[in-house]
Amino acid sequence: MSNSLTSSHSLTIAERGPLGAPPARRRVVAITGAAQFLGSNLIGLLEEDANVRTIVCLDAEAPTSAGSKSRVYNVSLTERMAEERMAEILAAEAVDVMVHLAFLDSPTHSTAFAHELESVGTMHVLNACRRTKVHKVVMRSQTLLYGAHPTNPNYLSEKHPLRARRTESFFADKIEAENEVLRFGRPGQGRLATVLRIAPMLGPTVDNFVTRYLSHRLAPTVLGFDPLWQFVHEADAVRALRLAILYDVPGVFNIVGDGVLPLRTVIKLAGRTSLPLPRSLASSLTSALWLTQLAEAPPAFFDYLQYICVADGALARKELGFEPLYTSREALIDYANAQHLRDVKLLSETPA
Amino acid sequence: MKRKDKRPKRDSGAHQPGPRPAKGDIRDNARPPVARVQPKGPANAKRKSRRTGRHREPPAARAGEHRGHPPRPPLSRPPAVVDERSAVDAAGLGDTGIDSEEAFELGIGARVVPPTTQYGEAFESSPPDPQERKSGDVEAQIRALEARLDGLIRQRHSSDGVADADAEAENELEGGEPPSERRGPLAKVDSSAPARVAPPPVEDFISRKWGRSALRSRSEEFDDFGLDPSFEQRVKPVVEFLYRSYFRTTVEGIDNVPAEGRCIVVANHSGALPLDGLMLRAALRIEHKQKRDLRWLAEDFVYYLPFAGVFMNRVGAVRACPENAERLLEKESLVGVFPEGVHGIKKLFQERYRLQRFGRGGYIRLCLRMRAPIVPCAIIGAEESSPLLYRLEGLTELLGLPYFPVTPTFPFLGPAGLLPAPTKWRMRFGEPINLDNYGPEAADDHVLVGRLSERVRSAIQAMLDSGLRERRSVWFG
Repeated sequence: MSNSLTSSHSLTIAERGPLGAPPARRRVVAITGAAQFLGSNLIGLLEEDANVRTIVCLDAEAPTSAGSKSRVYNVSLTERMAEERMAEILAAEAVDVMVHLAFLDSPTHSTAFAHELESVGTMHVLNACRRTKVHKVVMRSQTLLYGAHPTNPNYLSEKHPLRARRTESFFADKIEAENEVLRFGRPGQGRLATVLRIAPMLGPTVDNFVTRYLSHRLAPTVLGFDPLWQFVHEADAVRALRLAILYDVPGVFNIVGDGVLPLRTVIKLAGRTSLPLPRSLASSLTSALWLTQLAEAPPAFFDYLQYICVADGALARKELGFEPLYTSREALIDYANAQHLRDVKLLSETPA
Repeated sequence: MKRKDKRPKRDSGAHQPGPRPAKGDIRDNARPPVARVQPKGPANAKRKSRRTGRHREPPAARAGEHRGHPPRPPLSRPPAVVDERSAVDAAGLGDTGIDSEEAFELGIGARVVPPTTQYGEAFESSPPDPQERKSGDVEAQIRALEARLDGLIRQRHSSDGVADADAEAENELEGGEPPSERRGPLAKVDSSAPARVAPPPVEDFISRKWGRSALRSRSEEFDDFGLDPSFEQRVKPVVEFLYRSYFRTTVEGIDNVPAEGRCIVVANHSGALPLDGLMLRAALRIEHKQKRDLRWLAEDFVYYLPFAGVFMNRVGAVRACPENAERLLEKESLVGVFPEGVHGIKKLFQERYRLQRFGRGGYIRLCLRMRAPIVPCAIIGAEESSPLLYRLEGLTELLGLPYFPVTPTFPFLGPAGLLPAPTKWRMRFGEPINLDNYGPEAADDHVLVGRLSERVRSAIQAMLDSGLRERRSVWFG
């Protein structure tokens, strides 16, 4: 306990961690998906970071947090010429680090678009990096890709295979993209790839299917099951990305908050009522609702309401020097406070 | 559209002299940076505001929205306002006749006015970029000077503030601040805060009771593996009733379980309804001098079952897999293992107390790797409390169970038939088996692992046999 406290408060020490001071040369960072939640916050953070010289923002929209260091380019990863255009930009800006964040946070009905963006888009990004000798790629992934299974160990390490349902395109595209990035960073080619598998993000400003699941008065659960959940605070997720940009630590890292919470406690802390349904009924109901675009997620996501999918953040702590500021519980409470204000219309800002 | 490929020159001075829309400047300066909650409209709205040539004011409200920080006055250094037009000019596009809006739409080198979003990260105060000074614009020059001045002040503050910062860190060490009031190190460097007040000293009592660590320990209801102490407290009377009055459990040799440190208790598994893990945990909590907290490893199938899986998890069972066991042992805890696994509980009544195959000896490998001693344990009486007469194999697929038990009472009396019979239970703990003279690399020696596993198995079998010989009655011991 005391250990985690010291490290979470003495920020500079914790952030330097075992890695020492960041490299002397100021970096040029390119960010895909720059206008999305993680991207725009990361830009805001790097704008104030003395170790970063220029931020190259690549997205179809302009990020709101772009400042004096940022150079905004209109690039859409789903275009045919995306690779050429990106290669030109990367070469012109002499980019050191490519941060690939252009992934969908929530399941979508337009699976074809999602495939183009996530799987093919990653290919475009990596090929552009190969052309222009960008030697480092940081990718955002998710711990959800481990899949929820009753046979999961309580804490999944980075070595565990990704067993999320391949039939669900939300997972399949992301797993493909992650494999491509890891292939890009395979040793012996002089390149390195850092993949951050981030736990479901909660916090006052983030918006994803988990926050929407917890924002309804009734939260459906599976009768007789109460798996352990884990979150990471949105600020911690952004901090972890910064560390991965500044330090050259190749590999896969789970970025998670400390502690676990059973789903029923999660729902209680969010001030909602759980609605236990038998799995078969819940699945058929949800697939109908999903088809009519009323549900947040397809029925495959019921796995996560039924079985455990919790990752171990020890490696990120040891090698990346990442210490979460918020525990899972604190992240949830932080989200719940903001959501409460939103419910009573005191906070009109919609989550990003 | 063919201009789309045109790229801006790199960093060729953002503040080149160029036609500045005076109107916009006036508006910028005139507008006080008041906090205002600004609902984010659709993307179109943003674009429209840009088309009308109005600068988006720095949404100071965002500082409030980041509730990790107390609201602060805006930084005295104004955000480096870069006019889109001048940026376009700087990029050498001014003469091409591209409107700034158009340029933006095309994604050419357009820079966006930064909102002064406050991030809780340290940023080093550095002298302003040389390119900012190069600009010919008078106003930009003034701004650059201002920024430089602020940088100097900030540097002095930060060097002054080192001692304060240390004191603050010490305060925080004691769990001074709840997470909602935590401030980033930015607060220490912030020069614009009027005469930065040192944080009030926090009394020990207050920080113990309401500090961050206190909040954490108060709120940690669940441990890493899903044990719920409050739920266990509620179930405790039932478990203790079963342990003391129903099964009248007697325990021998419990001192063989070490008082502290990692250790594995290996026991025989039995009964159609396995209660032995729960009773083993109760025995160590009630009878052991140090009231040791045993976590037993339960078979996978339990976690497929509704209710049962959650129940077992909340009262202390952990899914049996090497990762979990290693994690438990790393925390120097006591782990209960039933190496027979499902084969142990699905053996029929006629095979009672005959130990099944001990898996592939995974627990031996675990002990060798983690350097933990083994305490063999024989549980007598559990086999008769819910004797398995027959296994219905056909229903297994449907129910997700490894077998469907038929006991003298179970399907016939309904769920009440699952109630175990009140047999007399005895637990015997044998001498600890120490594997320290083998190194961790022995875990890869399959022959050795098999031999050691057999040794443990025979030790438990011998304890079972002698216990059964001494027993005169199933019901009274």
